[in-house]
Amino acid sequence: MAKVLMKGNEAIGEAAIRAGCKNYFAYPITPQSEVAEYLAKRMPEVDGVFVQGESEVAVGYMIFGAAGCGERVMTTSSSPGVSLMSEAISYIAGARCPAVFVNIMRGGPGLGGILPSQGDYFQATKGGGHGDYRLLVMAPEGVQEAVEMTMKAFDLAEKYRGPVMILGDGLIGQMMEPVEFPEDFDATPMNNDDWATSGMDTRKTDKRNLVKSLFLDPKALNDHNLLLKAGYDRMRQEEVRYEGYNTDSEYKILIVSYGTMSRVCKTAIDTMKEEGLEIGMVRPQTLFPFPEQAVHDAAAKESCSHVVSIELSMGQMVEDVDRCVKGQRPVTWYGECGGDIPTPEEIIDHIKSLLKN
Amino acid sequence: MGKIELKGTVIIVGNYGSGKTETAVNLAFHMKAAGIDVRVADLDLVNPYFRTREARHILFEKGINVVLPEEKYMHADLPILAPQVAGLIRNPAELTILDAGGDDVGTTVLAALADSFVGREINLIQVVNPLRPFTETVEGCKRIQGEIEASSKLKITGLVSNANLIDETTPDIIYKGYELIQELSHQTGIRVEFITAHEKLLPELDLSRFDTPVLPILRQLVPPWKKPGL
Repeated sequence: MAKVLMKGNEAIGEAAIRAGCKNYFAYPITPQSEVAEYLAKRMPEVDGVFVQGESEVAVGYMIFGAAGCGERVMTTSSSPGVSLMSEAISYIAGARCPAVFVNIMRGGPGLGGILPSQGDYFQATKGGGHGDYRLLVMAPEGVQEAVEMTMKAFDLAEKYRGPVMILGDGLIGQMMEPVEFPEDFDATPMNNDDWATSGMDTRKTDKRNLVKSLFLDPKALNDHNLLLKAGYDRMRQEEVRYEGYNTDSEYKILIVSYGTMSRVCKTAIDTMKEEGLEIGMVRPQTLFPFPEQAVHDAAAKESCSHVVSIELSMGQMVEDVDRCVKGQRPVTWYGECGGDIPTPEEIIDHIKSLLKN
Repeated sequence: MGKIELKGTVIIVGNYGSGKTETAVNLAFHMKAAGIDVRVADLDLVNPYFRTREARHILFEKGINVVLPEEKYMHADLPILAPQVAGLIRNPAELTILDAGGDDVGTTVLAALADSFVGREINLIQVVNPLRPFTETVEGCKRIQGEIEASSKLKITGLVSNANLIDETTPDIIYKGYELIQELSHQTGIRVEFITAHEKLLPELDLSRFDTPVLPILRQLVPPWKKPGL
């Protein structure tokens, strides 16, 4: 298929359809509302369903219901909306149902603002909802990657039987880029006979399935949580994704940055390289599981004297970076948390000031 | 290939993401450079990012007056229409460009301004990028046309092809966009005002293929890792 020009939000919607998702429930919120607008037009063309819930709380449980039936299902929202869904996300994780959540982040806390943000890093990677669960979190840097990650998210959700999140800042949703959709994607849901409440007449066996997150027996709950943990450990083994940028060079400083912020860093790195100053970057594509080893090893490079986490938050990922660097190098934060995005020039100035000190 | 002759009030409409703002801003620069007095108003009440207001500084620098919502509401996702817009329509500059929001939703605002339009000649220009969803075909463009006319209570008077894939635009894309807009014009009887092409692409284009003016584009609404005006 030839390339088309799409807004990130539209492309995420189209990606879901190409991945075989016929169930989309959402509630509008800037800056992700175009996903719903797009899918409101597209879903009927593929015999799919879009229902606008009366709130994100309702949407969260619509997702739970459809996921429990073994259907491919997605919702999209932005920060405050995801907070409202967090209870359902916890239930979905507890009940081991595959579902795809997209958070196109805006400023917070509270109503915050409508401009791009990465302030939900903690919410996405450390919890959000209650209880012992993790979300597999992927962070695209552009529209093409948003498409690939959204499609892959459906497979991963089924592989691990749990919720998967695409975490993009507002720019990912709003900007337009040329995009191509993979042709050879297998959109068939994996066998869910074992667990889904899809109706007895749809199944090959007469085993009765029950979707639930309630385990009153302490041993049963313990075993259940250990089963979840085994899945998260497997993610750490099999799903870590990151990109190294200029990491073959003898870089003086290592940047860790993700999402559109990393695109600005790339421009800054290219400009500094032209001036003869080598700076490297590790760009996590999965935020959970975090590329722990990659960050650790990149920081340990002899030429590297400092590690800086550049994010659109007041410093969240920096805690994971610091954890991985394990004291080998100083780790600091740089960024903006109000909606403005640092320019390449501002990043260059900051990097040079770090080198001076 | 002639000159762009637009005068009076020009409202830029089109489907979502067709490049209305980039067209409006570049049209303003182009006409201003030709010695015409140009004013611009941002009527985009539906888009949260990449609006005319993002290019306000460079518009001001070039001496183009821009009517915007108050600074404190600049980043609100509320449908705020600057009250000066009605005045601007009643007392238009030599060329007044109104940049509306996308789709029929974005042009609903025009119906609210209907009183100001009475008795005035209004150019309602539909921008088309066939590489965008829903306007790949003449039928798709006509559907959007009908929806925009219904919501704005105005008739589309001119067409613009803004065929592009941003940095990946090829001459072939421009030619195909031209063919589509000609066919749309043929079927609807609406004239083609101009087509657009990035300035860097102009030397690669066989301009003799076009019966319409070509508006050279320098991208002003870019993500923060790119430089505007290139």
